[in-house]
Amino acid sequence: MQNRVREQRTQRGLSQAELAAALGVSRQTVISIEGGRYLPSLPLAFAIARFFDLTVDKMFDPDEEEAGR
Amino acid sequence: MMTFIRPRLRKPVGIALGGTLYAAAWVVHGGSGWLFAIIAGISTIAFAISWYVRGGRDDDEDALAGSHPDERQQLLSQRSWALAGKIAMLAAFAGVVAAVAARAGWWWPFAAIFAVTGFGYLLGLSNYGVGEEDPADDANDGQKAPSPIS
Repeated sequence: MQNRVREQRTQRGLSQAELAAALGVSRQTVISIEGGRYLPSLPLAFAIARFFDLTVDKMFDPDEEEAGR
Repeated sequence: MMTFIRPRLRKPVGIALGGTLYAAAWVVHGGSGWLFAIIAGISTIAFAISWYVRGGRDDDEDALAGSHPDERQQLLSQRSWALAGKIAMLAAFAGVVAAVAARAGWWWPFAAIFAVTGFGYLLGLSNYGVGEEDPADDANDGQKAPSPIS
């Protein structure tokens, strides 16, 4: 599962801690999601997508080899 | 339970309660048990304070210590407890096997732990919904659904 969390976060000039605070999760969880080591729950996936004004399928893609292509 | 206590204080309070019970058991034990009670009390206070301090740090374990985990940290905790349960069950089984092979009389505490952990697993299955039969989503009472083509 690839995602565009890191790409979207850096585009908006946010730190991992700032994104974590906005989503109500820990900084370690944002790091794990960005690294693809943790798949967020559906509510958190929706929260992430809403935060970046994207749909969930634009934010998380099981088929893409690399995020951001 | 304990939801009226601030999250960061929950585990230290739990530790303090457990330690107090343990110290009280040494006092009830009598004899020189008061010495062990004092040691247990001091250790408990130190342990509870250390958990309270940890609860304020920015780390996975410390978020769990402070009872403010997010969903990933909760999952980590659940997996760790599941692993602990499996290990306890396997260790209890090994203890029973060793005691039986040695014809020892101390097989029953292991058997009790084995039974309790096994019961806990079944209780978990029951609590978390395994075995509950939801009605199938068939509104036509077994009649063949009309084909969208015909």
